[in-house]
Parts: sequence; C-alpha cells; structure tokens
Amino acid sequence: MTAKYAFFKGCFTPVRLPWVEKAAYKTLEKLGISLVDIDDFTCCPEPVGVGIVDNLTWLAVAARNLAIAEEENLDILTICNGCTYTLRNTIHKLNEDKALLEKVNEIIADTGHSYKGTVKVHHFIEVLRDEVGLKKLKNSVKRPLSGLTVATHTGCHILSPKEVMKFDNPFDPTTLDNFVAVLGATPAEYDMKTMCCGWTLMTYGAREGAYKLLGDKLGDMKKAKADCITVICPQCFYQFDMGQWIASRKDIPQYNLPVFFYLQLLDLAMGAKIEEVGYSLHKVQNLSVVNKIK
Amino acid sequence: MPVQIQYKAKDKLLKKYPKIEVCLKCNTCALVDPVIYANGFSHTNTFINDVFSAAEPEKNQNIWLCVSCHKCEEICPYEVKPIEVIEALKDEAFEKGYAPEGIREEINQVLTTGYAFPIFQSLAYINRIRGQFGLKTLGERKVEDIRKIARKTGLEAKISGGKSK
Repeated sequence: MTAKYAFFKGCFTPVRLPWVEKAAYKTLEKLGISLVDIDDFTCCPEPVGVGIVDNLTWLAVAARNLAIAEEENLDILTICNGCTYTLRNTIHKLNEDKALLEKVNEIIADTGHSYKGTVKVHHFIEVLRDEVGLKKLKNSVKRPLSGLTVATHTGCHILSPKEVMKFDNPFDPTTLDNFVAVLGATPAEYDMKTMCCGWTLMTYGAREGAYKLLGDKLGDMKKAKADCITVICPQCFYQFDMGQWIASRKDIPQYNLPVFFYLQLLDLAMGAKIEEVGYSLHKVQNLSVVNKIK
Repeated sequence: MPVQIQYKAKDKLLKKYPKIEVCLKCNTCALVDPVIYANGFSHTNTFINDVFSAAEPEKNQNIWLCVSCHKCEEICPYEVKPIEVIEALKDEAFEKGYAPEGIREEINQVLTTGYAFPIFQSLAYINRIRGQFGLKTLGERKVEDIRKIARKTGLEAKISGGKSK
C-alpha cells in the first residue's frame, strides 16, 4: 500500500537545494511513499525569526498551513527540522489550549481556513523509521556504501523540546547513525555530535564564532575518521557546505568534508550515480570520498 | 572569578520569570550553548551572564544569536529555562525597534513573498537549476493570506511603522 503525505517542502530546500527536493521524490516514492504537491503552503514560518518576535502570527500562519493539509485529509511530510519544529509546536500549543486555538482560528478565518487539530506532522526520517522501517530500507540498497565513514549531525530543532518533538535523546541521538549503518556505511563516533551547526551565529552577527565552531566540530569529525557528513535539515546542510567552504579559505583547516543530505546518501545507496544527486552543485567536493562510493 | 549575574533589569524579568532567581551560575548551560563561540564569551563569561547582567538586556544584540535549540533548558539542573527569558527579550526588542536588520528583513520577506528569504532577485537562476532536476518552477505564494493574518495580529503595522535602529 502506498502511504500518501502532503509534501511540505519549506523555503530553503526548493530555493537553495532543489536537488534534495528531487532526491525526496525519487527515493521516497521508490519506498512506497507518495508525495502530494500542495501549492497553497507558505513559509512554515521560520521559527527563530518570526516565531520568536511575533508568536501569534507564527502560530496563525502555521495553523493555516496545517488546515490546508487537513482539508486534503493528509498528514504532512517535511524535509526540514525548522518546518517540523514550527508545525509540531503549533499543534502542541493549539491542541493543549482551547482558548488559543479559538483565537488563532478567528485570526485565520478571513483566509477561508480553520484548523481542527487532526493533522500530524512527520519529518521524512520519522516516516522512514515508522512507516518504511529499517528492514525495507535495507532491502532497497543496491550499492552498499561500505567504503564510507559518515559523521551524522541530527540538528537541534528536531530534537528539542523533547516532549514536543519526541524524536530522539537530545544529548545522545542515535537514530541517524542507524540509518547510516543500514546503507552499509560506518557512522563516525565523534565528540561534538549534538553541538549546533552554527547557523544563527553565521546569520545574525557572529561569523567569526561560527567559523570557530565549524573548525572544532569538523575537526572532531575528522579525528573520528569521517569521510563525509550527513544531515536531515537544509540549514545544517548549507552551514556545513557553504559555511565550511567560506571558513576554510582562511579561518579553519581544509577538512574537505563533503556534506550529503540523508536522502542523497539513500539515493546513492539505491544505485544513483554521483552526477545524479546534485553533488556538482555542492561547495565542498572531495574526489577521494567520491571514489569510495563505487 | 565566579560569574556574577547582576539582574539589573531584575524587577521586570523576575516578575515574569521568577525561576531565573534560582540560577546557580553553575555554567552547565555553557557546555551545550553554541553562542559560547561568539566573540567575548567563554565558559566563565557565559551568554546567560551577558544577557542577564546587561542594564537593558533587550538592547543586547547578542540575544539574537540564540538559535532556540532548548539545550540550555534541557541540561539545566534547576529547570531555570533561560530560553524563555531570551525569547521574551527578543519579542520586547522587536517591539521597541532594536531587532537587527536581518530579522526585520526576514519577517518582511515572509509577509511580502511567503518565503523566509529573498528569492525574486535570483528567481530565473533558481528555476533554471530546478529545471535541470525536472522540478516545477517556483513563483509567488499565497501572500495575501499571510497579509490578512499579519493585519489581524498587528505584525504588519509593527513592521511598517516600527522604529529601526
């Protein structure tokens, strides 16, 4: 049976990492997950900017997005930790507080939508874990990535607050390691696994700090013999790829650690060629790593 | 030197968040906080110290470096939840016009395009790349719905009439 989800692509992936969107369609559909495009979705909205400075607008815009999925009778599938955080926190807040729910529905009434509280939001990695299962995933592997040691970075917003996100242990996440292992690769055991990628430092005024953070974190990955990094959030991808590229001009050593969104790794393991997964558009490329994917 | 938290804006912050008085300045939060990497911070001069000891903490630009990762809240042995205070300060700072330009611009983008960052200057390029992967072109999102919402919550007025510093 094919499971159907409303595909919530967010902003960052379709604009800056379209090859990740492509990998989502390709790999998930092969695994029996059907993604339904919904043009009416808007920005989730982004949690760190809009979410903090105007909580009510954040909840209302998110509630409108949730209501649209409800109208289609579909649960939402996301490919971004930030979108998952916004939508799931909105569900948590509105389903717990009837007065707030009424207030938010009154605000979005003019848009012709109303949030009922029936929709669920799933990050794609949760769909792979709960709907597809590791066994089926393992069976889909045509080319085991056995030459690769992969440093996993789960990211912040899918882990915390843990009572809302309910994904993994925020201080010792292991889910993504299992997903790397199932593709035949070796997960790297490194120290700074749960340290943030540094996105906010980079974006809102502390670039030097972001470089220092990257230097330490990538250094730890390298010490653990990682060939590459895998992530499940587009901002983390960008920070480790573009951020690493900028920082390694002068601020940190040339670690040359390519980043793969997990869906790209999955695509490669399912048999895709490196040229097909958008790797040529990555900032950090390393031939010796590519040579290990054979 | 032990970290001192002076709570200069004590009355207001304490009234709203009485739990910050429980803070033992143990710096456990500094072990997991990415902001420690910003200039001027260390494990002894922490972000929490910087925020709470400022005379007018809402004017402190460093509050915008918080990524809302909730790690400080989850590791705090006394359940102080510094993130609640930092988020409330951001809220207040935005109201008073102290938010950095990047934040104001991001909100403006969401309200005017439905995307969280500028895309229309480079839309042709973005769509060319999307085309290479056989993906649909991107265009306008339902901005009118977002504007209706922002009009009702007052955010539209705040962003167009708000002070900029």
